[in-house]
Amino acid sequence: MRLTIGVVTALAVLLGGAACSDDTDPAASGDGKVELNVYWWGGDKRAEVTEQALKLYTQRNPNVTFKTHWQGNQGYYDNLATQAAGPDAPDLFQIDDNYLTEYAERNVTLDLNPYVDSGALDLSKLPDSLAKYGQVGGRTMGVAGAENTPAMVYNKTLVQKLGVAEPKVGMSYAELVTWARDITNRTDGEVAGTMDPSADYKALWLWLRAQGKELYNGPELGFTADDLTAWYDIWQNARATGSAPPLSVIKEANGGDVTKQAVATGKAATSFMWSNQLPELQRATKDQLALVAYPGNPKGQWARASMYWSVFRGSRHAEVAVDVIDFLVNDTDAGKILGTERGLSPNTEVRKVLSQSLTDATTRATIEFENSITPKFGPAPAPPPKGHVKVRALLVAAAESVQQGKATPRQAAEDLIRQANAALATT
Amino acid sequence: MALTTANSPSVRASQGTGASAKRRRPRRGPQREGLAGYIFLSPWLIGLMGITAIPMLLSLYLSFTNYDVLSPLGEAEWVGLANYKRMFTSDPSYWRSVTVTVSFALIAVPLKLAAALGVALLLNKAWRGVGLFRGLFYLPSLIGGSVALAIVWVNMFNREGAFNGFLAIFGIEGKPWVNDPSWALETLMVLAIWQFGAPMVIFLAGLKQVPTELYEAASVDGAGRFRQFMSVTLPMLSPVIFFNLVLETINGFQGFTAAFVLSDGTGGPVDSTLMYTLNLYLKGWREYEMGYASAMAWVFLLAIGIITAVFFSTGRFWVHYSDGDDR
Repeated sequence: MRLTIGVVTALAVLLGGAACSDDTDPAASGDGKVELNVYWWGGDKRAEVTEQALKLYTQRNPNVTFKTHWQGNQGYYDNLATQAAGPDAPDLFQIDDNYLTEYAERNVTLDLNPYVDSGALDLSKLPDSLAKYGQVGGRTMGVAGAENTPAMVYNKTLVQKLGVAEPKVGMSYAELVTWARDITNRTDGEVAGTMDPSADYKALWLWLRAQGKELYNGPELGFTADDLTAWYDIWQNARATGSAPPLSVIKEANGGDVTKQAVATGKAATSFMWSNQLPELQRATKDQLALVAYPGNPKGQWARASMYWSVFRGSRHAEVAVDVIDFLVNDTDAGKILGTERGLSPNTEVRKVLSQSLTDATTRATIEFENSITPKFGPAPAPPPKGHVKVRALLVAAAESVQQGKATPRQAAEDLIRQANAALATT
Repeated sequence: MALTTANSPSVRASQGTGASAKRRRPRRGPQREGLAGYIFLSPWLIGLMGITAIPMLLSLYLSFTNYDVLSPLGEAEWVGLANYKRMFTSDPSYWRSVTVTVSFALIAVPLKLAAALGVALLLNKAWRGVGLFRGLFYLPSLIGGSVALAIVWVNMFNREGAFNGFLAIFGIEGKPWVNDPSWALETLMVLAIWQFGAPMVIFLAGLKQVPTELYEAASVDGAGRFRQFMSVTLPMLSPVIFFNLVLETINGFQGFTAAFVLSDGTGGPVDSTLMYTLNLYLKGWREYEMGYASAMAWVFLLAIGIITAVFFSTGRFWVHYSDGDDR
């Protein structure tokens, strides 16, 4: 028995030793050479332009090279969390507002304020609300890699063929549902007039903001069970009258693959998306698609970061990483390479230069949409609080239980408020 | 289990030490042999310790903390039994996942075993090319847990999938089975049942062990096919059935991959495929509650342990071990 204990102890020491011994960092060799780990989610196109931009940085700063990793959206945060737990997160990584506060408040990301103050990181060319939307509790935890706006994509070909008016910015949800019923009727139920976004937190958020309310007040919910009941009622009614499709179609559309969205597969005439997703959707269908704001007063919208660049707090090369962010955000040449793949350039001056050189019609439609809606934006809220990821999942489950007929809008709303409050309190 | 096997050689080793002391320490004593044994064992031992035992013990510790994955381990606070309490009192998703898992196991496991036994009976004949069929039926289990297979499955059972195409031949309009909350779990069950190859092979081996003279005696006594099956095959096969039942139940409870792939890692639609292990994964990695997830894992381990113990305790009423009685 004693021997076993001895062996176990020896093994534990051995393993512990092995775990500690890889502390030497090959990148930190004395000759000033730096290798930066960069990590993002996205497709081939994004990888291509990002790597090209980083190559340009290396050309200008030969001491800095990059080790890049990228993957699809699915599983990205699982992977990032694993690396952060290591703790071996990449020096520079992409993150979005769903997770920014989560990572910031758990001290995974580095506060960039000192670099902004010293001038190493220039955020002066970013729209004010965009720069502010990267702050968590006053600390700059991420720099917008691009600006993006929620947009309702609709099937322009179909709408024109049916002789229905095109949806307009500022139309109400009630008007949308009536409009959608018209389409459903005219296609004999082949095409549902509108996708049902009741499970989509960003649609709910904008609907609330259009009425002067918020999704969150600081770390708490910003809406009541009455608000949520009203929201579910809109869609209950839309499904009952055939304006919106049944749950199985909704689930199919939201399966994660953008090209399976109902507007692209022809199951519905609209989908609730992000404006930068138009080109990808357009490639999936022969019909011409177009963008319009989500229904409701557009002042509910704000300049939203489609994603941020954040620096890992444990990075040994934080200054270099910050300089790379500054380059990606402010450099005109980098901006030209990156184009609108992540959304509109966060830097308004780069944006101007870019818009002059665009040739692709779909991309131009995206930019035109952004430019037309930007003046109507309201002020930016704080990024969602820690625990938002849970609330988001609860919102999906609650909406689905209404869609499935398992709960009335009132029941689902009250359950959600209770569960979401508990979720926000335990984090 | 693993721990006891690790212990037993050491018991022998220490007895050996005592014996060698009496024999005035021969140079090549059992102690040195024991050491050599451990050196040969070391690849496995290091694996067991590093990959299984130490992380397991660590997770037991974590289950009493609020560890959140993203913050350093040292910052995790001790919360006592709070995680366990929450599981049983205030987490509806927990009970949802228990319900899903239990109903999955209750339906899929018996059907899978029935399919395995049925096909094994058919393949236990001396047909031409029966070996080929055995191979073919076994094939699905080889790739059973794979992501690729789950993706194929999802595509077979979505709206435009092959299954609906098949139904269309008969003029039946299908539905997107994997996206329908009342059918998604059933789709997973069918996938699990289809992978009956592994228990089938074990059943086949069991069938070969049944002495033919028993059947001869039975038919002399005038027993028909069905009677032979009930009175000879089933009792003789009961140890194998028992083995398969225990193994497949444990497997069934642990289903993860297919549910993860089918629901896009959410357990949806409407939590209909929220298997226990998937819920555990979501809690740990999506919601950053690794402490809570660890507690879930330990309760799971206990539950499976209890279920297995129940099987073993009922086993003596229906499992028939023929060895020793009639030989």
